[in-house]
Amino acid sequence: MSSVVFSSWEGQVVDNRSGQHAASAASDIKVPLKYGDSDVAAFISWDGLVLADKKVSVVALVKAYIAEAAKLACGECSMGYRGLAVLADILGRICGGKGQPGDVDLLLDLAQNIQKNVKCDFCANAVIPLKDALRNYREAFEKATSGNEVIPNIDYIKKVTAPCQEACPIHQDVPGYLELVRNRRNTEALKLIRRTNCLPCVTGRTCVAFCEKNCVRGDIDAPLSIRALKRVPADMGIIQPQPFDKGAREDKVAIVGAGPAGLSAANYLARLGYQVQIFDEQPTSGGMTFAGIPSYRLPRNVLALEIEHITSLDILMHPDLRIRHVEDLQKRFKAVLVATGAHQSRDNGIDNWNADYDTLMEGVSFLRDISCGKAIAPKNQVLVVGGGNTAIDCARTAKRLGCKDVTIVYRRGRHEMPARDEEVKAAEEEGIKFQFLAVPTKIHSQNSRVVGAECIRMELGEPDASGRRKPVPMKNSEFTMSADMVLTAIGEVPDTSFLDGALELTSWNSVKADKNGVTVVPWLFAAGDCVSGPASVVEAMAAGKRAAESIHAYISNNKKLSSELALDGVLHDLSLSRRRRGPKLPSTKRLHPRELPPDERVQGFDEAEECFNVQVAAREAGRCLRCYRVMLIVKGQG
Amino acid sequence: MVKLTIDYKEIQVEDGATILDAAVKAGISIPTLCHNEELSPAGACRVCAVEVATDKGPITVASCNYPVADGMVVSTRSEMALKARKLALEMLLAQSPHSEKITKLALDAGLDAPRFSLKGDECVLCRLCVRTCQEVVGLNAITFIAQGLNRDNKEACVEWDADKCIACGSCAFICPTKAVTLCDNVDTRVIQTPNTKMEFKMKACTKCGAYYAPEKQLEYMAKTAKLPIEKFDLCMDCRD
Ligand SMILES: Cc1cc2nc3c(=O)[nH]c(=O)nc-3n(C[C@H](O)[C@H](O)[C@H](O)COP(=O)(O)OP(=O)(O)OC[C@H]3O[C@@H](n4cnc5c(N)ncnc54)[C@H](O)[C@@H]3O)c2cc1C
Ligand code: SF4
Ligand code: FES
Repeated sequence: MSSVVFSSWEGQVVDNRSGQHAASAASDIKVPLKYGDSDVAAFISWDGLVLADKKVSVVALVKAYIAEAAKLACGECSMGYRGLAVLADILGRICGGKGQPGDVDLLLDLAQNIQKNVKCDFCANAVIPLKDALRNYREAFEKATSGNEVIPNIDYIKKVTAPCQEACPIHQDVPGYLELVRNRRNTEALKLIRRTNCLPCVTGRTCVAFCEKNCVRGDIDAPLSIRALKRVPADMGIIQPQPFDKGAREDKVAIVGAGPAGLSAANYLARLGYQVQIFDEQPTSGGMTFAGIPSYRLPRNVLALEIEHITSLDILMHPDLRIRHVEDLQKRFKAVLVATGAHQSRDNGIDNWNADYDTLMEGVSFLRDISCGKAIAPKNQVLVVGGGNTAIDCARTAKRLGCKDVTIVYRRGRHEMPARDEEVKAAEEEGIKFQFLAVPTKIHSQNSRVVGAECIRMELGEPDASGRRKPVPMKNSEFTMSADMVLTAIGEVPDTSFLDGALELTSWNSVKADKNGVTVVPWLFAAGDCVSGPASVVEAMAAGKRAAESIHAYISNNKKLSSELALDGVLHDLSLSRRRRGPKLPSTKRLHPRELPPDERVQGFDEAEECFNVQVAAREAGRCLRCYRVMLIVKGQG
Repeated sequence: MVKLTIDYKEIQVEDGATILDAAVKAGISIPTLCHNEELSPAGACRVCAVEVATDKGPITVASCNYPVADGMVVSTRSEMALKARKLALEMLLAQSPHSEKITKLALDAGLDAPRFSLKGDECVLCRLCVRTCQEVVGLNAITFIAQGLNRDNKEACVEWDADKCIACGSCAFICPTKAVTLCDNVDTRVIQTPNTKMEFKMKACTKCGAYYAPEKQLEYMAKTAKLPIEKFDLCMDCRD
């Protein structure tokens, strides 16, 4: 199929029913025309409908769509909830051969006025394709209404998603759980969250929240506080055990690394019944969520309880056990997942750097030492080199140890810092200083003690490959900063020595695997930071789950493309527009959870952010627009 | 203070007030169903629709939860507003044809009979009961379950938690459609909701023997007032 018969996608009508506009090829229209290997015969969703095959009945297509949408209307306003039910009813009787005179006008009148008078976005969007169809295919509806003929149902594939849900690497049903929080049904909210997220307390505190960046409410006032809202049901249910079907399979799977990627894969595989064993060289599980993320952001008892939920699925843990040669595992396990993270520091290029000094440390080692309970005496002047989240965590941790003066030295400016803005602000509040546009080049020491660092000033030059302006050293701008401790947080790379060359590596030393964790070696899979380089908890969880699906497919010899994966392509093509077509809404204030005051929180490692209480959470969750997008795809013959 | 015009009348109200607040202040009446002064607005019924001028043309909004803005121009009786109100009432009347309150509002809006009918019980999901229980009684015994994906419930509804309920009857009192009713059968109070029937034991006055209030309600009162339960042994008539 090369051309489209009709499209009203994004309000742009392309009508090629006469066949004259052969030029309006599929490429003109921003909707997918492939589903896996099949052609798409018709497609209908929040922004219009597309027909590629003349034989598809528009009336039946619209009926199916409105019936599906009506199942999703929330019920907050009767206009939308009852309105969609009425529309579904009328379309149902038309397709049943029992249409009544005036039905077409009634449909149009209702659709127009429902759209104008509903409370939020979902139902307003739901009627858009119906209106498009009624306007452009009126004859078809008239004929169906008067024809007394039954129009057969069509087969379709349904997908429901939302901009926030799509942006989330693990595709949580964000509008779904926000709605339950709003209605103070937190137990159910947690149940819903756990369907796709095995670390709700961890992500409720530390997630980078891709969802918030894609939240449609951001176009009106500010995105929902989605991360903090998730924490409400998560914290309420932390000691709730989770039921699961006990393993029915003999097959054993080994996972190397007990970070978010490994844990999420284990959770998924154990639920499928596999015998899962996790190996980790550290005595405590959690990977970087334990060794990296400081306890004032993620209390250790919370992390431990959350991991226990997962390991209680009869998962055998081998802490303190470093895998030296991955081949050793091959004999005992059907499949092996490499989820070893990125822990090895890169060369920092600073002269006189003496790794034997305990006052010259890599940031992640410093944080790990603290996490493991090692005592580190407070210093007078600490320099932290870097501009990412790890640098901020090091600086804020040093402050909490009682170090007097903590300065972050970053080679670019405040604007270019990759660290999250709220983290930078929190650091500023805690009295951490910043030295922008500078890089330490040499350590000064006296009598085996660090006394300072020589730095050079930088200026921003042309944009580099990442699009950020590249810092270049300024001639003769050297200056010295006094310091008795220097920490570097300039990014880590994976340690892949235990693979003994079994897998191909990238130039960053990361493991080459596709997005489903499949490598060139059939029994070896890889996921998380060891593939992507340092990323985030939720991305590692998503990668772990996808790899687990691939492992399941490999062991059970099931090569079929899952419907989710086929739809991934569809959604990618659509780029799920954030464009709102809902009713005008007044602007509201985003609510934030309370935080301990800065002077109090630097006194120790107590958790800095509080949890919303149920009432405030209900209010904040009430700002959600419920931007669910329902789409139906009718597959063609091809 | 914010200045706005409603039906050509200039009005000044506090910042943060709703259009309905402003109209009430100016003596302009707007019909409402799910609104109650004592409760937070829900915007559920859409009966209070009014027309508001915007730079993109006129729109309708629910006046009970739409905040005023400086220079806002509102019309409560325009054709657009009346049409929106009529459609809102059509949905409500189709759902709850026996409600006196809705029938009256519909007649006022010039609607005799809806063009369609709807299945199900008479609950219009206005959530007056939910908000009364949460905001006035101070319990969370009634919650709204929205319809959605991956939920146990198939349809939107209002659910009573019999354990938390103290049988005070506020929900039956506030319900505009009689979808919730209360009936005292001597020693038992029966609360019938769209999806459950709950029975509660009544307390007999230790002096005259008359059943006068649900035991759970008295326990709750004793607990919140921090008084011994014996203080609630007598009915109103026997107390001095
Ligand atoms: C300081 C810091 C702060 C961060 N803050 C955040 C944040 O706020 N939000 C966020 O989303 N992300 C944050 N991240 C990133 C996040 O923690 C990581 O992206 C995530 O943990 C990666 O998960 P993973 O499972 O791939 O690897 P990891 O979590 O690194 O886990 C890998 C595990 O493998 C083990 N291992 C490695 N090699 C072997 C071997 N040969 N044998 C046995 N075991 C082995 C390691 O001991 C480790 O436990 C932060 C990272 C750091 C360093
Ligand atoms: S408003 Fe709600 S549904 Fe819409 S994107 Fe934001 S969180 Fe998701
Ligand atoms: S009274 Fe305003 S929506 Fe019900």
